[in-house]
Amino acid sequence: MVDFSLPPETERFRSELRDWLATNLTGDVVAAHRRIADDEGFEVVRQWNRRMADARWVAISWPEEYGGRGATVLEQLVYVEETVRARSPLPVNVIGLNNIAPAIMRYGTEEQKRTLLPRMMRADDVWCQGMSEPEAGSDLASLRTRATADGDEFVISGQKTWTSLGHRADYCQLFVRTDPGAPKHKGISCLVVDMRLPGIEARPLPTLNGETHFAEVFFDDVRVPATALLGPLNGGWGVATTTLSHERANAARLYVEQQVRLRELVAELVAGGGGVEDPVALQRLGELAVRADLLEVLCKRSVSADLHGGDPFASASLAKTVWGELGQDVAAFAFDTFGLDADDGRWAELRLSARSLTIAGGTTQVNKNITAQRVLGLPRP
Amino acid sequence: MNLELSDEQLALRDAVRRFLTERAPVAGHVRALLDDPVGTTDGVWHGLAALGATGLLVPERHGGAGMGMVEAGVVLEELGRALDPGPWSSSAVAAPRALRAVEGGDVAKLLAGIADGSVVATVALPVTDLSVAGGDEATLEGTIAEVPDAAAAQVLLLPVAEAACAALFAVETSAPGVTVTPLRRVDGSRKQARVTLVGAPAERLGSLSAAAVEALFDDVLVARGADALGAAQAVLELAVAYAKARVQFGQPIGAFQAVQHLCVDMLETVELARGGVLHALWAADHADAATRHLAATELKAFAGHLAHVGDMAIQVFGGIGYTWEHDAQLYLKRLLSWSAFLGSPDRYLVETGRLLVRSQTR
Repeated sequence: MVDFSLPPETERFRSELRDWLATNLTGDVVAAHRRIADDEGFEVVRQWNRRMADARWVAISWPEEYGGRGATVLEQLVYVEETVRARSPLPVNVIGLNNIAPAIMRYGTEEQKRTLLPRMMRADDVWCQGMSEPEAGSDLASLRTRATADGDEFVISGQKTWTSLGHRADYCQLFVRTDPGAPKHKGISCLVVDMRLPGIEARPLPTLNGETHFAEVFFDDVRVPATALLGPLNGGWGVATTTLSHERANAARLYVEQQVRLRELVAELVAGGGGVEDPVALQRLGELAVRADLLEVLCKRSVSADLHGGDPFASASLAKTVWGELGQDVAAFAFDTFGLDADDGRWAELRLSARSLTIAGGTTQVNKNITAQRVLGLPRP
Repeated sequence: MNLELSDEQLALRDAVRRFLTERAPVAGHVRALLDDPVGTTDGVWHGLAALGATGLLVPERHGGAGMGMVEAGVVLEELGRALDPGPWSSSAVAAPRALRAVEGGDVAKLLAGIADGSVVATVALPVTDLSVAGGDEATLEGTIAEVPDAAAAQVLLLPVAEAACAALFAVETSAPGVTVTPLRRVDGSRKQARVTLVGAPAERLGSLSAAAVEALFDDVLVARGADALGAAQAVLELAVAYAKARVQFGQPIGAFQAVQHLCVDMLETVELARGGVLHALWAADHADAATRHLAATELKAFAGHLAHVGDMAIQVFGGIGYTWEHDAQLYLKRLLSWSAFLGSPDRYLVETGRLLVRSQTR
């Protein structure tokens, strides 16, 4: 039965979170979000992360035994809406919480779960994920970084790139080739690697806007114990695709981010007093608002399908494509409107950083190939 | 939050789809009626009545099914998918929604006739500036440039501007002084007519508040949007099936990435519209007025994009899609008539922009 409304208990959860954010989230924390690439900004965000974690407002979807709230899917949706609307910086280990932790929960030892997970949640340890390589971008399964068994150790050699937080990380969830003779998806294993080991070098990789969020990470005969293996030997591809069984409402981030950005833009437009009268500007704003709001329903349909036994894949994959293109169009409108005028260069910076939206996490073109084949059933080229 | 259709709604969809596939196919029914001003046959109309479809939105106490806009949307999507040229959206959606909004006035008989299919009614929008003489038994004078399905209708429901906002009048098309002139438009599957009234007898059914007029306008937009969604979904399916079957350069053209991306772009547009339709249909009955109005406005503002699905489909078909013989043109025209319905998408995009700015300056 079609119903867009949320149950009262979910709305109560929203109020509780909103109140907590209103009391605790300060302007300097919000501002630090834009300086997260700097050491100082990073530390502000890390402290905020700890404060949220100590109030159990990080990783709410995790089971309570690991410090989460075992939040329902609708609570997760509301959590994303409220934290983004309040402009709360993301937890430092957002990739770790969403992508690495589920694998640790599923494959890790009790010791790993007990020690690694709470520290990840509080950002006491910084985590990175070693996946992309210079020759393995969209075609991730062709990765070449190699780990060779040597007694009760693995010896790792190779290079990763586009490693978020690689230059700050304490641990890396590293994907390596352990069986070079096997078909490419079947010779990959997953290791948990201490980033302070000898032979590891992380070089910051500044992006086109001059900021450093990523690193290139080099492994030169790095020795890790065999117990570093997470999941089955040569079963790393399965670990990489461990479904995010906890984070099931992340799609909400796609629409809320764009809606918030659009509202910030409008707020700035009307800041000088009066409204917006230019019909061209109104039409472009309307175009962006329509797509952001239709994206909202698309994302919610994905969440709803997941909740009610449907297939969330089609909506989710389309939503990612729409989000990337919409985000770039929002940025283009902002830049066309404010150009280089804004005091802090904020909109020019957005115009540049938005380039990544159709590349990171799988390019729009590869995503469309996957949608064509998996959703529409078109033949593989 | 649950955005899935219920089993009952799916059963309704299947029943209507089966009926239209068997009794009103594009080749035998739709194409035969492209130049016909009425756009339906007694057989098809009474068949829809027998399914309970004509009375879907009519309250049960007046002989209808007492359902809501989500169910109406299920039927509309099927009618759009079938390119049905009949007056269902006018008689089964616009008319009952107008009649329920009237304050005062006895509309029971009219609703009962609509429900059992014996009366076809339609509504003129936006509010007209006809001149009125007399009281409850009035006469009307003036011309309305376009009224949907007027040639099929026995009863015209005409909102007329008055001091408080508007009054709703009922005019029988068979009455003296009423001239209905069918208009040829690009989309032969949609019937429009000019209505000229010269001292035409009219019954004043009651008054309509400004809020009621806005809600009615939104309902009519959303209904036509749901219809267009069905047409877009159908032509998407045809194009994807063709891309799998058509072989050139030794392989199905659907194996080429350029064609795949065209198909995904169509799917993306259709799925965005599907969400917009679903939300607007739900909002029509369950949301506050501001949410409902924004949802309807945004859906209509997206109409230009949805029409482009017809263009992209023809691009996938290539030359065959450019022929009269192929049905792709019929879907494109159905989508274009949605795009042009009650004003161009640009107007609604500007209005959406205005609503956004207003929400930030309050």
